[in-house]
Amino acid sequence: MFYREAGQFKNTYHADQAIFPIIQDRWFMALVLLVAFVVIPLWANEYWFQAVLIPLYIYAIAAIGLNILTGYAGQVSLGTGAFMAIGAYATYKLCTAFPDLNILIVFVISGFFAAGVGIVFGIPSLRIKGFYLAVATLAAQFFILWLFNKVGWFYNNNPSGTITAPPRELFGIMITGPEAHALTRYYVSLGFLSVMALAAKNLVRGRVGRSWMAIRDMDIAAEIIGIEPLKTKLMAFAISSFYCGVAGALFIFCWLGSAETEAFDIFLSFQIMFMIIIGGLGSIMGSIMGAAFITLLPIFLTNVPPMIGIPIATDLSKHIEEIIFGVLIVFFLIAEPHGLARLWQIAKEKLRQWPFPY
Amino acid sequence: MSEQNRSPDILLNVEGISLSFGGVKALNNISFDVRKGEIRAIIGPNGAGKSSMLNCINGFYHPQEGQITFKGETRKQMQPHKAAEQGIARTFQNIALFKGMSTLDNIMTGRNLKMKTNFLWQALHLGPARREEMQHREAAERVIDFLEIEQIRKTPVGRLPYGLQKRVELGRALAAEPDLLLLDEPMAGMNHEEKEDMCRYILDVNDQLGTTIVLIEHDMSVVMDISDRVVVLDYGKLLADGTPDVVRANQDVINAYLGVTHE
Repeated sequence: MFYREAGQFKNTYHADQAIFPIIQDRWFMALVLLVAFVVIPLWANEYWFQAVLIPLYIYAIAAIGLNILTGYAGQVSLGTGAFMAIGAYATYKLCTAFPDLNILIVFVISGFFAAGVGIVFGIPSLRIKGFYLAVATLAAQFFILWLFNKVGWFYNNNPSGTITAPPRELFGIMITGPEAHALTRYYVSLGFLSVMALAAKNLVRGRVGRSWMAIRDMDIAAEIIGIEPLKTKLMAFAISSFYCGVAGALFIFCWLGSAETEAFDIFLSFQIMFMIIIGGLGSIMGSIMGAAFITLLPIFLTNVPPMIGIPIATDLSKHIEEIIFGVLIVFFLIAEPHGLARLWQIAKEKLRQWPFPY
Repeated sequence: MSEQNRSPDILLNVEGISLSFGGVKALNNISFDVRKGEIRAIIGPNGAGKSSMLNCINGFYHPQEGQITFKGETRKQMQPHKAAEQGIARTFQNIALFKGMSTLDNIMTGRNLKMKTNFLWQALHLGPARREEMQHREAAERVIDFLEIEQIRKTPVGRLPYGLQKRVELGRALAAEPDLLLLDEPMAGMNHEEKEDMCRYILDVNDQLGTTIVLIEHDMSVVMDISDRVVVLDYGKLLADGTPDVVRANQDVINAYLGVTHE
C-alpha cells in the first residue's frame, strides 16, 4: 500500500487535530503497539528484556521529560540525573515507610516529589537563560546527589549506602525486588511509557504546549499575548521533573534493582540530553527514537561485527561507541537539529510522492 | 474617514507620560487620548519615541511620570500579560512570531488567555479540554478566513515570506479579540499591493469588529488615508494632534519632516 493521504478528507476540526491524522500512520502505530505489547513478550528472552527493552522504555520516559523542558519550553537543563535520583530515593523511602502502599501509586507520588524540587530549581529560569541556566541546573545535579550521599536518612542508614528495591507485589504478581519476573517489569515500564507519552503528546498539542513553544521561540511576544513567563516556565520544570522522577523510580525498581547515587551522575544527564538531540528536540516521538538509538547502538556494535566476521575486543567496541556518539552529536547539531524525528518526517514526505517525482 | 458619528467615548487616555533611559529622554510629557472605535495614528521621524509610546501603553516600559487610563482604569505600572488580560494586543515592528510553530498554532496562541481548562484535562485531551480546543479552533479559523491565509495554516511560519508573516502576526493579535490593537509599522517593507491588502484588513477590522486601533506608520499617504486622528511626535515631544488635514497643515510638522533652514 502506498503512503498517501489523497482521498482522506477531514470534516471535523477534531479529525484534523488528531495525533495521527493519516490512516496509514494510525495503522503503523497500531502495529508498533501490537509488537510492543504482544509480539515482543512472546519472543524476547531475559537478555533482551534486561539489557535492551526495559532500559529503552525507562530512558524514553526520562527523554520525554527533558524534551518537554528543553525541546518545547526551551530551558536547557543538565539536572536530569538528579531529578531521576529524587524519584528513585522518594520511592525507596515511601516503599520502606509504607510497605502496604500500592507500588504503582508510589512511583507516581515520587514523580510529584521530583516535580516539587524541579519547581525550586526552575525559579532561576525567570532571570537567566541558555548556557547560564544550564550551569544553574548543574548545581542541582551536584547538590542533590551530594545530599543523598551525605544524609543517611535517605538510604535508611544502611551500611552499603545503596538503595535496593524491596519485593513488592500487586494482585499476587511480583512487581519489584529480586523475584520479580522480567516480563512483569517489562509491562510496567511499557505501561508507564505508553500512558506518559500519550499524556505528553496531548499536553504539547494543546494550550500548555503552545505556551511553552511561545516562550521558547519569542518570550517577549509570548508575554504580550498574555502568557505569564514565570508560571509557564515553572510548569515546564514541574512536568519535566515529574517525568524524570517516575523514570528514576523505574530505573532502580524495575531495572537495576539496587544502586548508589553514582547511577544518577552527570553522565546520565548527558546521556538523556544526547537522546533528545539525536532523537529530535521538540518531538515526543523523537524522544523515544533517541532513547532507542542510544540503547541499541552499543548492542549493535557488540553483536554485529562478530556476526560478519570482524571480531572486535570489548574495550575497543566501547571506544568506537563513544566516537560514533560524538560524531553523531556533531552531525545532528549541524545538519539536522530536529534529529531522527525530522528525518522520519522527511522520509514520509518523500514517500508521499514516491514513485513519481512530482 | 473622519466621520463624526462615532461614539466619543474615550478608551485610552495618556496623561503627561515621561520616559527616560539614563540621560536620554525618550518621551517628554506626552498626553493624548484614543476614542473608542477610531483609528489613531502615531507618526514622527526616526527616534521620535513612537515605539516607546506603544511599549508604555502595553506595559513593556514603565514611564517615570504620568499615567495611563484604559477602559476607565488608571494604572502606573503593569506587566505586559496584565495588559493583554485587559484587552490590549499588538504586533511588532520586527516580526515577533513563534518561528517553530505553524500558522494555526501561532493564531491559536493568541487565544491562550481565553482558554481555561487545566493541564490535567489537557493531558487527557478529553471532555472539557477537547471541547475547548475545538471551539477555539473554530475561532482561529474565522481569523484565518478573514485574513485569507487558509492555504498556509499548517506551514511553519519561519518558512513564510515577509508579507505573509506580517499578516499572521496580525492574525495572532486579532485572535485575542482585543479592544485595543496596537500596530507597530504594519506596512514596513511591503510592496504596494501588500500595503493595499494590509490597509483593507485594518479598515475591515476596525469596521466589522469595532476594534480600536493605534498604529505607527511611515507611509504618509496610508496614514492620511485611513486614520481618523493623528499624533505627531518628534524627539519625544508632542508636535501636533488632530485630524489628518489639521496635522498636514501644521507648520511644526512640516518643519520636522522637511527640515527647516537655520540661519
